[in-house]
Amino acid sequence: MVVKGWWWKFSGVIIFLYVIIGGLTIPTRSGITKSQPGSAQSGDSISMTVEGYNTHFLSAGLNRAWLKLDSLYAIKAKNVNATSEVDISITFDIPKIFPATENVQPLTLIIDNEIDGAFVQPNSLFVTLSDSSYSDKSQWINAEMKAFNKAKGIKFPYRNILNETIRNTFFHVALWFAMFILLIIGLYHAIQYLRTGNFDHDIQSSSFNRIAIMYGIFGLITGSIWAKFTWNTFWTTDVKLNMTAVAMLIYLAYLVLRGSSSDHDKRAKVSASYSIFAFLALIPLVFVIPRLTDSLHPGNGGNPALGGEDLDNTLRLFFYPSIVALILLGSWMANLLIRYERLKEKIFMK
Amino acid sequence: MDLIKVKDIFIKELSIEFRQKFALGGVFLFAATVVFLIFKSFNEINPREWTILIWIILLFAGLNAVVKSFLQEKKETYLYYYTLFSPIDLIVAKLLYNFLFLCGIFFIIILFMGLFSSFPVKDFGLFAIGAALGIFGISVVFTFVSVISASDNGNATLMSILALPLVLPILLLLLKISAVSVRLLTDTAIAEDVWLLFGVDSILLGAMLLLFPALWRS
Repeated sequence: MVVKGWWWKFSGVIIFLYVIIGGLTIPTRSGITKSQPGSAQSGDSISMTVEGYNTHFLSAGLNRAWLKLDSLYAIKAKNVNATSEVDISITFDIPKIFPATENVQPLTLIIDNEIDGAFVQPNSLFVTLSDSSYSDKSQWINAEMKAFNKAKGIKFPYRNILNETIRNTFFHVALWFAMFILLIIGLYHAIQYLRTGNFDHDIQSSSFNRIAIMYGIFGLITGSIWAKFTWNTFWTTDVKLNMTAVAMLIYLAYLVLRGSSSDHDKRAKVSASYSIFAFLALIPLVFVIPRLTDSLHPGNGGNPALGGEDLDNTLRLFFYPSIVALILLGSWMANLLIRYERLKEKIFMK
Repeated sequence: MDLIKVKDIFIKELSIEFRQKFALGGVFLFAATVVFLIFKSFNEINPREWTILIWIILLFAGLNAVVKSFLQEKKETYLYYYTLFSPIDLIVAKLLYNFLFLCGIFFIIILFMGLFSSFPVKDFGLFAIGAALGIFGISVVFTFVSVISASDNGNATLMSILALPLVLPILLLLLKISAVSVRLLTDTAIAEDVWLLFGVDSILLGAMLLLFPALWRS
């Protein structure tokens, strides 16, 4: 598949530059990295020191804070005192009586101001109930949890473990999508070669497959670096990782196969059949087995999937263009390979 | 597909194998020696090692054996076959033969492992079904790869390079199923894995049947 003209190469570069510049410069939303203390007794009056991330506590006119028990019950902070843009101390009077009976209650900290909008830290305070003999709700209502502000400007979501690495979505995940599209194009040409015997299809199939393999290796590398910062190890026993590694081994064997033979016709025929076989072996590896087993990846084992809160609209603004850009750039690279191989073929034929 | 022709090719393969007793004996000796070596170096083989080792021994013994299934005959012979049989008959016969041969090696390995150490399988039905499906998948991959390496000027090293990554998905499922069958793991949803293995087998078998005629014509 050779598209005429240069507009698609040009747009690939522009879109990818947009993804790189936008994806790396847009700040993440505000969040809470640390809060002290982590536990308290009911009836205490505590002063929490909170460390924010990308927050503007001093510049903001009014900081408000709550401790939330569940969707109905919350208490409002007695006193909120910002010491710097990222440090704030909040005083709470924790009621003696809880509208619940469990012995230990996790509370969620919510902070809101007009610049950063509202942001939360789940389970930031564990309260041990000193008296759980009866429950009373009176002190837990009227927390005035309303009129939340919205964050100003376009910002990426803040996720507690991900932090700034959420930007890797544009590269790691998009690389896999683009890899699959390129592999499918390569598969199409492999089938076309076996049907027609036109040698040009073999050149196209192998070029697309080679670029796809390169994308796969980049995908593994970006994923590995991401894992180091979120799961604290370069490699885990996670199924998706290991199945992908197997898939990459299968495709690396494809490269070995192409390098092994000097007879053009045989090499073309053999590698076209192998790539079809390999692609079919890939489907259960990448799409079926990980679905059956728990994985640390989003969308598996109770982890949230793409979509919902994780892929919110600001991320989509860069994620989808990134896939398109990578496909375009990959096709460009494949086209260079195709033209190179065709020239080699011409010289060989002379 | 002509069943009588399939049977004919199958019997021909079998008789060639028995005429060349050294090859047959060599494979079984390989299996026995490796089992003995493992027994001497581990002294005591616990179930976890047992399940992993039988499959690894099978893989390498089988690789040695199946390589020659398309390499042992001359080009002229294939030209002769080409006039006699349809490619599907040939590949099905070869596949069946390789499957039974791998099953034979598997029994020998199990036998020696049982002799030297133990036989820890608790859920025999699951183990048998898993092993049959797994060996079938392995023999599909090996047969296909041996066709490829034969059409590529009989390159035997290519065989192991191509075959090992391709059997990995089958082997991973197989290891899980056999781990459950010796009660190393408990998994109530193991039937899903068995079905998955069946699905992988059928995909690979279908791909091989589709691709072989094109490959064989060269």
